[in-house]
Amino acid sequence: MTISLLRLAIRSGAYYWRTNIAVLLGVSAAVAVLGGALLVGDSVRGSLRDIALGRLGKADQALSSAQFFRSALAADIRADGLSTAPLIVATAFVTHEPSGRRAGNVVVYGVDERFWTFHGVQPPGGLAISPALAAELGVDRDVRVGDGSQGTRPVTNDVVLVRLQRPSEIPIESLFGRKEEIGRTLRLTLSEVLPRERLGEFALRPQQTELRALFAPLQRVQRDLGVEDRVNTVLMAGVQDASAARAARAALTLEDLGLKLRASEDRTQVIVDAAGGMLSGPLEQSIRDAGAKLGSSSLPVFTYLANTMRVGDREVPYSLITATDLAHVSPSSSAVAPGTSPVARDPIVLNDWTARELKAKPGDPLEIEYYLWDANTGLTTHTSAFTVGPIIPIAGFAADRQLAPAYPGITGAESLADWDPPFPLDLARVRQVDEKYWDDHRATPKAFISYEKGRELWQTRYGGATSLRFVIPAGTDADAFAAKLRGELQSAIRPEALGVSTQPVRRLATEASVGATDFGQYFTYFSFFIVVSALLLAILFFRLGVEQRLRQIGILRAAGFTIASVRRLLMIEAVTLASIGGLIGIAGALAYGQLIMHGLRTWWIGAVGTTQLTLHVTPSSLAGGALGGIVAAIICVFLSLRAVAKLSPRALLAAQVIGHEPAGDPKLARRNRIIGVVAGVFALAALAAGFLSEAAQAGAFFGGGAAALISAMFLLSSWLRSRPSTVIAGRGTGAVLRLGVRSAAFRPGRSVLSAALIASAAFIIVSVDAFRKSGGEVAASRSSGTGGFALIATSELPLVHNPNEAAGREALIISAPELLQTKFTRFRVRPGDDASCLNLYRPTAPTIVAPERGFIEAGRFEFSSSLAETEAERANPWRLLQRPVTAGGPIPVIADATSLQYVLHAKVGDIFSMDIGADRALELQFVGAIKDSVLQGELLMSEENFVRLFPSQQGYRYFLIDAPVTTAAAAGQLAGVLEKELTTFGFDAVTAAERLEAFHRVENTYLSTFQSLGGLGLLLGTIGLAAVMFRNVLERRRELAVLRAVGYDRRRVSQMILAEAGLLLGAGLGAGILSALIAVVPAWTSGSGRGPGMMLVLLLAGVVLAGVLSSVVATRAALGGRMLDALRSE
Amino acid sequence: MLTIDKVSKVYSTPRGDLPILDGVSLTLERGQAAAIMGPSGSGKSTLLYILGALDPPSSGTVTLDSTNPYALNERDQAAFRNQHIGFVFQDHSLLPQCSVLENVLTPTLVAPAGQKNGDTDEKQARMILEQVGLANRLDHRPGELSGGEKQRAAIARALIRNPTLLLCDEPTDNLDASIADSVADLLLDLHAANNTILIVVTHSAILAERFPARYQVADRALVSA
Repeated sequence: MTISLLRLAIRSGAYYWRTNIAVLLGVSAAVAVLGGALLVGDSVRGSLRDIALGRLGKADQALSSAQFFRSALAADIRADGLSTAPLIVATAFVTHEPSGRRAGNVVVYGVDERFWTFHGVQPPGGLAISPALAAELGVDRDVRVGDGSQGTRPVTNDVVLVRLQRPSEIPIESLFGRKEEIGRTLRLTLSEVLPRERLGEFALRPQQTELRALFAPLQRVQRDLGVEDRVNTVLMAGVQDASAARAARAALTLEDLGLKLRASEDRTQVIVDAAGGMLSGPLEQSIRDAGAKLGSSSLPVFTYLANTMRVGDREVPYSLITATDLAHVSPSSSAVAPGTSPVARDPIVLNDWTARELKAKPGDPLEIEYYLWDANTGLTTHTSAFTVGPIIPIAGFAADRQLAPAYPGITGAESLADWDPPFPLDLARVRQVDEKYWDDHRATPKAFISYEKGRELWQTRYGGATSLRFVIPAGTDADAFAAKLRGELQSAIRPEALGVSTQPVRRLATEASVGATDFGQYFTYFSFFIVVSALLLAILFFRLGVEQRLRQIGILRAAGFTIASVRRLLMIEAVTLASIGGLIGIAGALAYGQLIMHGLRTWWIGAVGTTQLTLHVTPSSLAGGALGGIVAAIICVFLSLRAVAKLSPRALLAAQVIGHEPAGDPKLARRNRIIGVVAGVFALAALAAGFLSEAAQAGAFFGGGAAALISAMFLLSSWLRSRPSTVIAGRGTGAVLRLGVRSAAFRPGRSVLSAALIASAAFIIVSVDAFRKSGGEVAASRSSGTGGFALIATSELPLVHNPNEAAGREALIISAPELLQTKFTRFRVRPGDDASCLNLYRPTAPTIVAPERGFIEAGRFEFSSSLAETEAERANPWRLLQRPVTAGGPIPVIADATSLQYVLHAKVGDIFSMDIGADRALELQFVGAIKDSVLQGELLMSEENFVRLFPSQQGYRYFLIDAPVTTAAAAGQLAGVLEKELTTFGFDAVTAAERLEAFHRVENTYLSTFQSLGGLGLLLGTIGLAAVMFRNVLERRRELAVLRAVGYDRRRVSQMILAEAGLLLGAGLGAGILSALIAVVPAWTSGSGRGPGMMLVLLLAGVVLAGVLSSVVATRAALGGRMLDALRSE
Repeated sequence: MLTIDKVSKVYSTPRGDLPILDGVSLTLERGQAAAIMGPSGSGKSTLLYILGALDPPSSGTVTLDSTNPYALNERDQAAFRNQHIGFVFQDHSLLPQCSVLENVLTPTLVAPAGQKNGDTDEKQARMILEQVGLANRLDHRPGELSGGEKQRAAIARALIRNPTLLLCDEPTDNLDASIADSVADLLLDLHAANNTILIVVTHSAILAERFPARYQVADRALVSA
C-alpha cells in the first residue's frame, strides 16, 4: 500500500510540476532564510572567536601586573610542557614624525626573540606596526598587508615618536610621585608593517575592531622606560589554566610583587616595605598576620617629609619625621602622652641634633609644616602642632637610616642641594648644618611622632605605613628569621591583591566570543517576515496544486480511498516536496548567510565595525534551519489538508473549491466587529497611557500597536463578511472598482490573511523607523544624551593636575585662550571592555569610570530608571552612587540604559560580578540607567569607591568638557586646540554630539538591517498577495468569463481585479502604518524618536509598486487563457 | 435581425485542423425563438459562442441588426455584447460575493454612461427580478438560492440590458424537471414580452419541443429538426 501510494504521490508530483516547483521554491526560501539566519549567528560567533584566538597567537594565559617584575620570572615559571615569554605591554600614542600624523590608543609591545619563538613566528627586522596603525599613520601606501607573506619587507625608515606612561612604583598621586614627567617619548625607526598572519594584531583582550599595535625591541623599551630587566607581562602556553596559575604563583618572589624584606642595620629587626614606598591597608594586615604566625609583633613605621619644623623663630628645613610606636623610640616618651601638656598637643620626640638646632626642650610647643597632595587642589601646605617630648640621641633605632623608604630624588642624593623631589623645594633655606646632617646621617629621621598621629596627618588611599618591622626573637639568626618570614609572607600574600594575576586569556577570549548580541537570534527575528511570506507562498501554491486535482481526489475517494489514505497520499507528496525544498534551501541558506555576512562587512559595517566576519558553516544550524522550515511547511500543509477531508466525494468530483466560506456571514461579521472595537478601545487606552506615563511607553508601543493592528484586521474581516447596505449600481470605472472591492469578500479569510501579512510587516518597518535616532546637538540641554557637554576627551597619560585651576593649567601648560572658558569634568578610569554596542564581544570586565564629586551634584543626563527611594535620590539619581556600601556588599554603579539592556543583558537592580583579580569577584549593582547617552561604553562608580577599589589607577583619563560653543564646527575646532595643547598627554577629543551619533549610528544600522530584511519580507508578502490574487482569479475564471460575455472588456476586468488587490494592499499598508503611528506617537511627542525618514517612504512606495505590478502580472496571467474554455459546459 | 451566413469553424490542434462547423447559415427575426440540439461535441455550443460574439468564425459572417461584431475591436465588441446580447449559461455563474440585485446589475456597470443612470438601472433590475419571481430575494446571496432561483437570477441578468439576442447554453440541464419546465416558461414568456431573438442550445428534447423552430447540428451543418 505504502509503495503504491508513494509511486502515486511521485507521479502526481511530477505531473503537476509547475505548481510543485512553486511550492519547492517557497519551502526552500523559508529554509534558506531560517538556516541562513542561524548561520549568521554561528558565523559572527565563529568569526569573533577566530579574531580573538588569532590575535592571541599561542598564548593561553598571561601573567600581568600593574607594576614591573623581573623578566627572569618567565624562565622561573616551570611546568611540564609550559612555554613562556616575557614582554612589556603598554598603551601609547604614536606620532609619525615626517607627516605629523598621530594615532591614539596604540598598544605597545616591548618584545624580544622569546616572544616570536613562543609564537613560532618569524621576528620582524626591527620596529614593526600593525596594518591598522600603518594606515592611521599613512605609511601603508606601498604595502599589501595581511597577505600572509613570511618575508620581512622593510617599508620605510620613517621615525615614529611613541609616547607612553613612565612606570612608577611610587603612586603619582602621592606626594612623592612625579607628576610633571609622567610620560616618556621613545624615538624609534619604523621597520615594517606586520600582517595579521604574523601576529601584527596581537592582543590579549578581545576586540573586533582593527588593532593599532606596535612591536618594539624589549631592551630598548626597558632602557627608555627605566625598567631594565623588568617586564609587566609573561605569556604562557602549553598547560591547563590552573597549572599555569599554580606555576606562576610558585615562581613569584616578594620582590616580583613589589615587596622588600631585609634585616635592619643593627640586625635586631626584619624590615618589610614596598617598592612604591607605601604599604596598603590590606597588605599591611597580611604582613602583620604573617609575622604574628612566627610569634613576632610588628612595629609600624610611617616616615614623611616635613618642610619645616619650627620652635619659636627657629626652623629646621626639610626633615624626615617618622611616625611609629613612640615607646620603641624612647621609653620615657609616654611621660608626655597626648593630653598631658597644657595645650593638649601630641608629643614629638626629637633627636638631639634637631633639639639643638631648634633650641627646643621638652614641653616646648613645636610646629611642623608639610605638603599634602589633593586631586582637586593640588599641592597644599598643612601645619600641625606638637609638644616637644624626650630628646634622644642619634643612636640605635633613632639612627636607623632605613626608617625612610627609598624616594627617588631624595634618599639617594649625595647632598641636600642634590635633592630632586617632585614638589617645590627652596634650597635657599638649606643651611650648612643641614648639609652636614645629611652627610652624617642621610635620611635618618630628625623627629618621631606617634603612629596614630602620623596616620591621621599623612595617610592616603595608598596606605598608612611605609614599612613594618618585626623584632627578631632573641637567639634567632636574623637571616634565618627573615627566611621564615619570607616563606610566611609568600603564602599569606595573594599576588592578586597586589595587582599581579594570571588571566586565562584563551578561555576568556573564547567565552567573550559568545558575543554581546546573538546575531542568529536577531537575524531570525529580522527574517521573520521573509520566512512567513515564503511559507505562505508555499502553502498557497500547495493548496492551488491540491485544488487543481480535486476531481482526481474525488475519483480516489469514489474508488474506495479513505480520507486518511488520501491525506497520507497528499502528505507524502508534501513531505517529499518539503524535503526537496529543504535540500535546495540548505544551498540557499549558505547563499543567504553569505549575503548577510557580506552585508555585515559592507552595508551594515556600522553595526559590527570589522571586515573580518566570514561565513562559518555549522551542520547543526543548517539542519536546524532545514528542519524548522520543513516542519513548518508540513504543519501548514497538514492544516490546509484538513479542509480537503471535509469535502464529500461528490463535492470533490464537482471540483468544489476547498475552504469555501459563504460570503456575507452577519454572525461572524458581528463577532469580528465586537473584537475589533474592543481591540480599538484597548489601543486608545494604551495610547493614553503612553501620553500620561513615559515609563509606560514601551507597553504602549507593544500593547497599543498590536491592539490597533488586531482591531484593524478584525474590522476589515467584519466589513468583508457583512452585508453591505448599499447596492453596487451606477456606471463607469467607479462602479467597476466598487465591484472589484466587493470581490475581496469572495474569500474574506484569505483576503484578511494577505492584508494582515502586509500590515504586520508595514507595522514593524514603520514603527522600527520611529526608533531611529539622530545625533546629539552641540548645545544640548544638560538632561540630553550629551549631558550638555560640548566635548568628550580621553588621554593616554593620566592627568593629575586639575585643569580647572590656574595652578593646574600652569602645570599642564594650557595656555590657549580658547580653553580659558572650558570646564573639565574629570573621570578616573579603570580600563576594561567596551560596554557599548560598538563592542561585539561580551564584556566580562567593563571599563569603569569615576567622576569627581561635582559631577554627581550637577545631576546631568536623564535617567530611564533607577533604584531611587528618597526624594533626594529621585531628584538626582546620581546620588545613588554615594549610597553607603556594606562590608562585602555590592558597589553601586550606573550604566547607560542601552548598554545595560542590549550589551550587558541586565536591568537596574541586578548584580554584575566582575573578576578584578582580587580574592573574590567584585560585585557591582546597577542602581540606575541613563537614557540614551554618550556614556555607553563605561560603568560609572563614585570616586570614593573607585579609589578604594582601584588604588593603583592613577589620575584622570576621561573628560567631559563644557565649552561655550554652539556649532559643530566650533566644537570641532576646540577639540583640535585641546588635542594640541595637551598633546604630551595623548589627548583625543571629539564633540559629544559626534560621539552620541556614533552610538546612534550602530543602533540605526541595526534598525536598517531589520528594515531591509523586513522590507524583503514585505516584498515577498506582496508576491504572496499576487499569488492570492492569481489563485482567486483562477478560481473565478468562469465568473470573470461570464462578465466578459456580458460586456466587460479586458480593461474593465483588470480594473476590477486591481481594485481588489489595491484594497488588500491599501488596507494592509494603511492598517500597519496607522497602528505603528499610534504606537510610536508617545515616543515621538516625548522627543525620544524621530519622524519617518525618506528611506521609509521609498521603501513603502516600493512595496506599493511591487504589489501593484505583481497584481497586474497575476491578472494578466490569469486572464491570458481562452475565455471560452472557462465558459464551456461541454 | 440575426443573420448567419456560411459560417465555418475550424480549430487547430497538434494533429491538424479540426473542423467543427461548415457553411452554417441561418436568419432569425426579432421575436423569433429557436432551439439548437445535437450530441456532445457536435459544435452547437461553438455555434452559440460564435453568435454571441465570443468566438470568431473561421469563415462566414454573423450580423445582428446589420452589425458584424467581429469587425469591431475588442473594446467595441465587448460593448456590443453588453448592449445587444444576453447570455444564460448552464452554470449560472453568479458572483457569490454580490447580492441577487447586484448580480443582475453587473452588466449595467459597464454600459455606456448617459443612456440611463444608476437609479433607472436599479429600478429596471427590481422590475425584472419581480418578473422572474425573485422580488423577495433581492438581498440574498447566490449561495442562499435554490438551483432554479439561481437560473432565474441569471436570466434576469441576461435581460437587464434589453438585449436583441438572448443566447442560452443548456439553461435547464442542471435543474429538476419541474424547475426546468418553469425556467423554460420564464424564458419563453420574457422572450415574448421583450421581443428578443431567443436561441437555446440544449440536449433536452422536452425543452426543444417547446420552441417553434428547432435545429440540429449534425455533420458540421445546421439542419432543421
